[in-house]
Amino acid sequence: MNIVVIGLSHRSSPVELRERFAFADAKIPGALKSLRESGVAGETVILSTCNRVEIYAATSLEPAKAFAELKQFLLRWGETAGEPDNLGVAELRPPKAVPGDEFYTLAGPQSLHHLFRVACGLDSMVLGETEILGQLKQAYALAHRHGHTGAWLNRVFQRAFHVAKHIRSQTNIQRGSVSVASVAVELAEKIFGLLHDREVLVIGAGDTSEKTARALLSRGARSIIVANRSHDRAVALANELGGRAVPFDNWAAEFEKIDIAISSTSAPHHILNRVKLEPLMKARKHRPLLLIDIAVPRDIDPEVNFLENVYLYNIDDLQAIADDYLKQRREEIARCEQIIAEKVKTLLEAKNIQPQISTDGHGLKMVTAKL
Amino acid sequence: MVWFTDRHFFLLAVAIYGLSTVYSVFLWRMGFRKDDRVNYLLLLAAFALHTVAMFYRGLRFGHCPVNNLYEATTFIAWTIVAAYLVIGLLPRLRFLGAFASPVLFAIGVFALMPALDLPHELKPQFSSVLTSLHATLILLAYGAFGLSAVAALMFLTEEHDLKFHKLRAFFSLLPPIQRLERVMNGLVIGGLFLLATGLAIGLKLIEIKQKNGAYAPFNFKNDPFYFYREPLVTYLIFIWVFYFGLLMARWRFGQGGRRFAWGMVASFVFILLTFWGFLLLSPVHQP
Repeated sequence: MNIVVIGLSHRSSPVELRERFAFADAKIPGALKSLRESGVAGETVILSTCNRVEIYAATSLEPAKAFAELKQFLLRWGETAGEPDNLGVAELRPPKAVPGDEFYTLAGPQSLHHLFRVACGLDSMVLGETEILGQLKQAYALAHRHGHTGAWLNRVFQRAFHVAKHIRSQTNIQRGSVSVASVAVELAEKIFGLLHDREVLVIGAGDTSEKTARALLSRGARSIIVANRSHDRAVALANELGGRAVPFDNWAAEFEKIDIAISSTSAPHHILNRVKLEPLMKARKHRPLLLIDIAVPRDIDPEVNFLENVYLYNIDDLQAIADDYLKQRREEIARCEQIIAEKVKTLLEAKNIQPQISTDGHGLKMVTAKL
Repeated sequence: MVWFTDRHFFLLAVAIYGLSTVYSVFLWRMGFRKDDRVNYLLLLAAFALHTVAMFYRGLRFGHCPVNNLYEATTFIAWTIVAAYLVIGLLPRLRFLGAFASPVLFAIGVFALMPALDLPHELKPQFSSVLTSLHATLILLAYGAFGLSAVAALMFLTEEHDLKFHKLRAFFSLLPPIQRLERVMNGLVIGGLFLLATGLAIGLKLIEIKQKNGAYAPFNFKNDPFYFYREPLVTYLIFIWVFYFGLLMARWRFGQGGRRFAWGMVASFVFILLTFWGFLLLSPVHQP
């Protein structure tokens, strides 16, 4: 039995092409069934995310033949992708693109190596991100639930999840935040600890400030206050975030209550300086205040950082931290690759692979291969 | 001849405090990224030896061993490490140990100076339960103030890193600075309570002992404010008022965390530098 993988990812193809081959969740069981019925795969899992579409298969065919048939299957799928009964999103489809060498095909140790790298986030657009592991688990669970996995794929997928866990605990590949919004959240947690009782003021409803506000909300921030030159936009964003809008000229009046302010107006000058902030800090009894200035040109005079209990970070500061985390993650790649190589080797060296039936924690019947 | 005395146990404890200090420097250089379990275990081992040392000394006199400067100093260090071991059960506050161990090591080395451990006989006036409680509570208060100074050092380190956008602020596992502020507040409140209770017991003791004819220079009946002429008591009241003032400045007037933290550090350094002098000047405590 050969384990093979064929797919498209953000590394090999543009989104215009990837979206043609994307599988809607509801359609995956049907696709898995047709793959098995066609005889190309004895066991199969389809992973379809915004950054990749991959078919993992355990096949008795020679890899070259299996790849040819899997590619044909994908092309046929791509041809019909615009049909409503396929994905149900036909109206979103751009004109069909013709794939060239964008499909990658891997067999044997390379396919296992690839799966382990994907599970660990090493092949992700954001290096080390963990969302892909959840997506991979979902893809596997879906195939398993419909009976499309067996001893081979159960074994390799479970090993992949184990390797991902091992790498997360033994290396720094997933440590730290690599986006401006998540760095801002981490910063807030360094100052305030839990964010449950924190109020956030958004001055200027820009895209990054919205993302940052959302990230803070997702970590438990109590409420969001939005002030924008266009009050309608402020109201719309406030409604979206479950907060309230205040007139732009009144944002300073909110300083007594808030803990975090995110500023991203298009003002050509500083809207907050030391002279203006000093009495506001006095009014709020010098409680710590985190100021995140993501505007260019800057909204907040850097001088305010000299005030006690005021922590000012601008977009460059946040980006520098995100970059440093990313640099740290990159430095960990070699370690991760080494661990993965060892795990693949261990798996391949295993002899006497015997199917074994057991029950997992959720009561599902599992068929795995025992070393 | 006893070849292994309580001082030897204390010496071993100080050696481990020293080891912990070295490890703390390593943790600091590494940006406090590693879990501080090793330091916690080192301080736990030192605490065990320290406790044995104090137990032996106490056993010899049959009461809490706080009769000379060596004993008082070791007791203060013991209260600091005991309080740390409790607080350090919370993983995010475990790094307090990295800031506490240099203080403990310094106090320990100071206490080991032979001149501080002058031989003394069992003094009947120090043998009552109330006297032991009085001394214990006051020294526990010092321990709380000492640990608040340690938390303040941690706060100042992290606040500086956050203010100046040092990456160490992000990579370190130090607790959030607001939590450190709460720890400082709690320790000062605890210290004030202990000090007030210890002082109240002390004043009661003088009253009791005067009735028995002791402390002749102080006539409690004719001069209810006699304790103003007792340097150590006056000093302790000043310390209490000073810490209370720091707390009030914070609560009532919104004193910033950094100033409060500097206040904690400066106050404890002041105590370390002056306590011994006032103890030696005190006729009641050095009869």
